[in-house]
Amino acid sequence: MNLVKKAVKFGGKLAPLVISEGLTSGTGLMNPSVFIDNDGDILVNLRHVNYTLYHAESTQRFPSRWGPLGYLHPEKDQRLVTENYVCRLNSDLEITDHARVEMLELHTPIWEFVGLEDARLVQWDGEYSIIGVRRDTTTNGVGRMEKSIIKLDKSKWSAKEVKRTRIPAPDPNESYCEKNWMPVVERPNQFIKWTSPVEVVELQGNKCIQLAVKQGIKPNKDQRGGSQVIKWGNVYISVTHEVDLFKNYLEQKDGLYRHRLCVWDNQLNLVGLGQPFSFLNGNIEFCAGAAVFEGDLLISFGFQDNAAFILRTPKAVVEDMIVEALDAN
Amino acid sequence: MLIESLIVSISRDPFNPELNFQAATEYEKLGQTASAVSFYLRTAEYGYESHQDLVYLSLLRLASCFNDQNDRLATVSNSLLQAVAYQPHKAEAYFLLSEFHERQKNWQECYTFAAIGLGLDPKDYRLQFEKAVSGWWIGRAEESKELFQSLLKRKDLLPHYKKAIELNLDSI
Repeated sequence: MNLVKKAVKFGGKLAPLVISEGLTSGTGLMNPSVFIDNDGDILVNLRHVNYTLYHAESTQRFPSRWGPLGYLHPEKDQRLVTENYVCRLNSDLEITDHARVEMLELHTPIWEFVGLEDARLVQWDGEYSIIGVRRDTTTNGVGRMEKSIIKLDKSKWSAKEVKRTRIPAPDPNESYCEKNWMPVVERPNQFIKWTSPVEVVELQGNKCIQLAVKQGIKPNKDQRGGSQVIKWGNVYISVTHEVDLFKNYLEQKDGLYRHRLCVWDNQLNLVGLGQPFSFLNGNIEFCAGAAVFEGDLLISFGFQDNAAFILRTPKAVVEDMIVEALDAN
Repeated sequence: MLIESLIVSISRDPFNPELNFQAATEYEKLGQTASAVSFYLRTAEYGYESHQDLVYLSLLRLASCFNDQNDRLATVSNSLLQAVAYQPHKAEAYFLLSEFHERQKNWQECYTFAAIGLGLDPKDYRLQFEKAVSGWWIGRAEESKELFQSLLKRKDLLPHYKKAIELNLDSI
């Protein structure tokens, strides 16, 4: 059973996240990141891309010219460009306000992946940040997490980046691409960088310090971020993803994504890992946000990079998932 | 919002071609062509054996969605060619291919697809129009004029076709 079906069956609610095509030219709205701020507002960072993901499922009788999975950017523009919108939702999970995040122009992008991708929204020490991966600062696409502090003007509903920090990997900082670090909402500048072994890091100034590396539960597949890490009762939880990447006989790439609920203790030890689930039985889905709202869990996810949704998951369903995750290990 | 209820229905029956088609149509109405692409493509894949008309229509709508996004010509063409391969006895995809090649000024391709389509549906004035337009550019001037003149006599033309025919006759 997919999670949307289960959540709705037990009283939850699914809402599509759509902003005007006049702003987006109809291309993908994806990988939303939900967050409840200090005012109690439901905010979502919504990623817009200039491409359309083409993914033929099932027996793949109708692949694109480039195979069953392709990023269909404009033919005269090879770039895959991301921009971000910060949205406010009402309690029915409808978008009431949205604003494109006006980013600082700090450099000219020099790689095909342009912009801050899969940004997670947090509010630390009163400041809003969107934190994702940027890969456009080198000619070979080196990826590093970047924290962009944004000024959100709720009266005019505008969002503007005011400071950016490119977060190095912990020394020796030689990896090619860092992405999908999960921000710990209750612990400013702390991230779960990796799940097996669990690696907790903290941004201190312009440096990234490794706080802990410890082997906990060993998932049979790498668990990658993911939503933020949020407090749920006396534990922390997050939604992670696992992915099978493979090629068909023509050497054309394909992929299958599934998610799991992770349970963490107060020391951020991984103490529970649920069974894999999908949101809508799509092969490519991606969760980038979770937040507690009126006792339930809001989970935001992208479907095939082309559509965005938020799912209100009833408390009882979440509790069952937590128990399952704890019991499984 | 209708999309919301459709997606909830899809969560209960994820591979249902009709539900996926309805969701695609609703997204397309909102101009959300990327979202529409996902659900049209699912319609095509999961309905291949059971819902042939919907599959054919989905492939045509896929082409339209990519056309609306601009600068995705290879994919527009590919979707239409997939429709032709899936149901070669239907004329609509030939017309859309002919029209597509007219926009690209690929006159022989435009003419060829119009001719094939007319073999299936000789009375379709849209195909006759494409054949007339492209015929002029590949050296079939008399045929082109005759086609335009006979088209003008038809009572069922949409106004913009009538105007285009008159403009063409004035300029050739």
